[in-house]
Amino acid sequence: MVHPGLALLLFALAATVGYFALRPRRGWVPRLIRLLRMSDRVRLEDALKHLLHCESMGLPSTTESLAGALEVSRGQAVGVLARLDRMDLARSDPQGHRLTEEGRAYALRLLRTHRLLERYFADRTGMPAGEWHEQAERMEHRLSAAQTERLARRMGHPLYDPHGDPIPSAAGELPPAAGVPLTAVPTGAAVRIVHLEDEPREVYDRLLARGLALGLTLRVTETTPSTVHYMVDGRETALEAVLAGNVEVVAAPEAPAPEAPRTTLADLAIGESGVVLEISPACQGTQRRRLLDLGVVPGTVIRPLMASAAGDPVAYEIRGASIALRRSQAEWIRVRRAEARAGEGEAA
Amino acid sequence: MTAALPVIGADAGTGCRGCSAQRAANLVQLGIDPENWDYLVALAGNPNTGKSTLFNALTGLRQHTGNWPGKTVARAEGGYRHRDLRAKLVDLPGTYSLQAGSTDEEVARDFLLFGEPDVTVVVVDATRLERNLNLVLQVLEITDRVVVCLNLMDEARRHGVAVDARTLSEELGVPVIPASARRREGVPELIEMVHQVATGVVKPSPRRIRTLPDEVEAAVAELVPVIEEAFPGLPNGRWVALRLLNADERVVRAMETGEMGLWLDAPDQEWSPGDAVRPGPAEVARVTDLAASLRWRLPPDFHDRLVEAIYAAAEAIAARAQLRGVRRMRFDWDRTLDRLLTSKWVGFPLMGAILAVVFWLTIAGANVPSAMLATLLIDQVHPVLNQFGANAGLPGWFTGFWFDGVYLATAWVVSVMLPPMAIFFPLFTLLEDFGYLPRVAFNLDSLFRRAGAHGKQALTMCMGFGCNAAGVVSTRVIDSPRERLVAIITNNFSLCNGRWPTQILIASIFLGALAPAGLASVVSAGAVVGVALLGVAMMFLASWFLTRTMLRGEATSFSLELPPYRPPRLLQTLYTSLIDRTLIVLWRAVVFAAPAGAVIWLISNIQVGDASVAWHLIEWLDPFGLLLGLNGVILLAYVVAIPANEIVIPTVLMLTVMAANVVGVGSGAGVMFELDNAAEVDALLRGAGWTVLTGLNLMLFSLLHNPCSTTIYTIYKETGSARWTTVATLLPLVMGLAVTFLVAQVWRLLA
Repeated sequence: MVHPGLALLLFALAATVGYFALRPRRGWVPRLIRLLRMSDRVRLEDALKHLLHCESMGLPSTTESLAGALEVSRGQAVGVLARLDRMDLARSDPQGHRLTEEGRAYALRLLRTHRLLERYFADRTGMPAGEWHEQAERMEHRLSAAQTERLARRMGHPLYDPHGDPIPSAAGELPPAAGVPLTAVPTGAAVRIVHLEDEPREVYDRLLARGLALGLTLRVTETTPSTVHYMVDGRETALEAVLAGNVEVVAAPEAPAPEAPRTTLADLAIGESGVVLEISPACQGTQRRRLLDLGVVPGTVIRPLMASAAGDPVAYEIRGASIALRRSQAEWIRVRRAEARAGEGEAA
Repeated sequence: MTAALPVIGADAGTGCRGCSAQRAANLVQLGIDPENWDYLVALAGNPNTGKSTLFNALTGLRQHTGNWPGKTVARAEGGYRHRDLRAKLVDLPGTYSLQAGSTDEEVARDFLLFGEPDVTVVVVDATRLERNLNLVLQVLEITDRVVVCLNLMDEARRHGVAVDARTLSEELGVPVIPASARRREGVPELIEMVHQVATGVVKPSPRRIRTLPDEVEAAVAELVPVIEEAFPGLPNGRWVALRLLNADERVVRAMETGEMGLWLDAPDQEWSPGDAVRPGPAEVARVTDLAASLRWRLPPDFHDRLVEAIYAAAEAIAARAQLRGVRRMRFDWDRTLDRLLTSKWVGFPLMGAILAVVFWLTIAGANVPSAMLATLLIDQVHPVLNQFGANAGLPGWFTGFWFDGVYLATAWVVSVMLPPMAIFFPLFTLLEDFGYLPRVAFNLDSLFRRAGAHGKQALTMCMGFGCNAAGVVSTRVIDSPRERLVAIITNNFSLCNGRWPTQILIASIFLGALAPAGLASVVSAGAVVGVALLGVAMMFLASWFLTRTMLRGEATSFSLELPPYRPPRLLQTLYTSLIDRTLIVLWRAVVFAAPAGAVIWLISNIQVGDASVAWHLIEWLDPFGLLLGLNGVILLAYVVAIPANEIVIPTVLMLTVMAANVVGVGSGAGVMFELDNAAEVDALLRGAGWTVLTGLNLMLFSLLHNPCSTTIYTIYKETGSARWTTVATLLPLVMGLAVTFLVAQVWRLLA
C-alpha cells in the first residue's frame, strides 16, 4: 500500500500538471495544437489577407509590415513573398508589394469566409463577442469553397458581419464601407454606429466594455485631439481618441434622441407598464429571435407581474401570457413608461 | 385522398348546439390504426392552448407516439372516423411562431409545407387571442385550408373575456369554431367543419398581411411575378417571395427539388417529383438571383419588421373580435396563488414541502408493491423455474445461464424499479399539468443562472431522482440548446431510485453503527440525505465548469412561460406518465439488464485454472480498489452491473460470498441474492474486510460514477453526439475516482 501522504502528493502534482496542460487557450496542449496548425498554407493565406488589408486602407505594404502581421522574422517574410510571387498571387516592386488579380480574388474569398464565420458565431452560437474574430481566424483556413457557400446559404446569405463590415459576395464584389471614424464627426451631429473594428482584440474588448454596439445612436458634443465626448442614452460619456478611431458611424438625423435617458424593462416596478421602443442592437442572434417571437416588438405593452422568490428573473405580461425574463434580457428591451397603468384602467 | 365526395346537406356546419349530441355519435375514435386514411389533418397551436386535450378528445387515449424523424421532438398521431371518412391526425409541436428558429418550429413548419395536410387546425387560446393570432396569421400565409379552433372558451367566460367567433372568422377569412375541448364542447362542430374543408365544401380564403414597409413591398412586388412565372398556379407566391428575401434555405431547396409543386392549386391532381411543374435550374436561378440582388435594398432590420407587421395585424384583429363592453378582468385567483408560490418567505418552504411529500409518497408507497413483486418474481417464480429445469432434465449450465443469470437480473430490475416510477412519475406529471413546476423553475432560476444553467434544470434534476434516463428525456422542456446539454450531462448527479436502497443499506450498516444506538437511524438517514445533497452540489459545480469550458460556444436563449393554473387531467396524466415514461424506461432497463445477468452468471461460473473468471478479475482489481478505499468486488460489481444500479448490491453480495468462500450464505456462484436482515449483511461484509471507509466510499462512488447503460444510451439518443455522451459518461466517473481516492488518503492519514 502506497503511503497516503505520498499518494496525495502525487495526486496534487498530477492535478497541477493537468491544469497547466489542458486549461483553455493558454494551456500547453492547446498551444501545441495551435502551433501545429500554423502550417505553410495558413502563413501564405494570412500574407494575402495582410496585402488586401493594406490595399483597402491605402497603406503601403512592406516586408516589415508583413513580418509584423505574421509574427515571423523578416527573412521568413521574404520567403513567403517570394513564394506568393512564384504562385502569381502577388508582385513585389520598389513601391511595395501588390496583389495580382488572382491574389485579390483569393484574398477576398478568405475575407468572405472569415466574415461569414463571424456572422455564424454571432447568430447561431453563444460564443462571447470577443472570441468571434479569433475563432474565425483559425477556421477560415480550413473551409473549402463549397463549405463556405453552404455556410452562406445556411445563414441566409448575410450581407454584413457582426462588426458591421460588408461580406464580399461569392463573385468577390465588396461594397465600399459607408462610415467615417467617430473622431472625424463634427460637434453636434447625431450619428449611428455602423462598424466596430474587431482587431486588435484588446481594443475591441474595451469598446464592448463601454457598451458600444452596432446600431447605437449618439451625439458628439466635443472633440479634442485626445478624447471624443458624446451623449448616449441621456448620459455624457468620453472615449479616448485611440479607441474612437476604431468606431465608424453614419449620420442618423431621424434616430431617437441620444439625450433621452434610457429606460429599460428592468427599470419598471411591479404594477407599472411600459411600451417597447426597441430591442437593443447589442442583442443578436437566437436571443433576439426568441424575444421577437414572444411578441416583444415596438409598440407592445409590457407589464411586470411579479419577481421570483430570488428577485431575478421577473415575470412579465407580454401580449396576454406571463413570460419570465432574466434581468440581463430585460435590460436589452428599451421602453417608454406608459401613462395609465393599463391593468388597473381596465379593471376599474 | 378521394376525388369525388358527396356534397353534404345544408344543415352541416351551422353549429347549432342542439345537434351536438347527435353528431358526437358520428365520431368514432380510431386510436392507433390511422394507416388507411382519407384525409390528413395537422394540429397546430401555441404551447398551453389545450392542443393535446383536443387531440385526445378526437382520437382517444390510444395514439401512436414517437419522435419526428431525426429529431428529438415528440410526435403523436391518431385517427378518427366521421361520416364514413377516416381522418389521420398529426399533432405538431406547440410553437409561438413558424420562423424556424428552434427545432420545434422547424418541425411544425416543414410539416405544414411538405407533409401535405389536407386541413390544418390551429388551436387558439381564447383568453390570449392576440398572442395566438400571431401563429394563425403565419399559418395562413402558408396554407389556405385552415380551421381555427377557438379553444378554452369556458376559461375565457370565467375570466370575463368574450370573443366573437363570427367577426374573427370574417377577419381571418377561415372558419372559426368556438370550443372547450376539456368538456368536449364544440368538438363535433369542429370535426364537421374539418370534414367540409377537407372535402372542398367550404373553401376558406384567408387574410394575408399587406402592411409591410414600402421597400419590402416594392421588393415583393418585383419578385412575385417572376416566381409565378416559374411556378404557375402557386397559391402562396407572396409568402415564397418573403421567405426568399429572408434567404430561407429550406424554401430555396424546395424550389430546386421540385417539392414546391406540392403547393400548386391542383388538389385533384396527384403530384410526383419530376412532373412538369418543376422548372429548370435556369428558372430557379433567375428567381434566386433576383431575390439576392433585391436583398441589398431591404432595411437591415427586415426580419424585425416582418414580425412587427404580423403582431400589428394580430392586435388589430383581436381588438375587433373581442366583444366590446366586456371588460377584461384580471385573473385574480391565478395572481394570488402566484404571489404566494413565488414569494420569498412562502415560496421556498412550500416548494421543499411539496417535493418532500412527493418523495415520501414514492418511497413509502413503493415499499409494499416492491416487496410483493420481489416475493413473487424472486422468491416464488425463480425456485419454480429451477424446479422445472431440474424436472425437465435441463443441463445445469442452461438453467444457470437463463434462470439464475438472465431471469434473475431482469426480475430484480423490474421489482425494484417499477413501483417507485409508477408512483413518482404520475405525481410529478400532475404537478406539471397543474402548472406548479414552471413556478419552481422560476423561483430557482437565479441559482441555476449562476451555474450557467436554466431554471428548468431543477425539474429535470428532480425527475432524475426518479430515474436518470427519464430525467434525460425530460430535458426536452429546456428549449435553449446549451442549457439543455448541461442538464443532460449533469442529470446523473441526481441520486436515482436505483441507488437509494444501496445508500440506505450501507449507511445503516457502517455509519449508523458509529452513533449510539438511539441515534443510529437519524445518523444514517442524515448521511443518505447528505449524499443526495452532495450530488446536487456536484451538479452545480459540473454545470458551472461545463458552461465555462466545453459548452462555451453553444447557443443560448432563455425564456420561461408561466402558464395559467389548470386543474390536472387525472386519466390522461396516468396514461401518459405510465406509458410514455415508466414503461418505456422500464423496457429499456430490461433490455440492458438481461444480458448483464448473463454476464454476471458467466464470469462466476467459467473457470480459468482453478478459479472463476470473476475471482481473477477481483484479484486483479483489488489493489486499485484498495487505493480508492474500496475493493475489487465493488469495482467488478460496478463494471458488470452497469445496466442498472438496482443489481449492484445483489452482485456485491454474491461476489463477496464467492471470493471469500463463505459457506451457507447465498445460493451459489452467479446467483444474485439479498439478505432480509441488515445484521447478516453487516456480518458478511465486515467478515470480508469491509471498514467504515469502505462503506463511506461505496456511498460516494454510488453517487459519483458513470451513468447506467440505459441512461448512456438515452443520452446518446437525445444528443445524437458521441462526444457529449462520452463527456456525460466519463465526467462523473473521473469525479468519483478523484473523490474516493482523496477521501481514502485523508482518512488513512488521520486514522
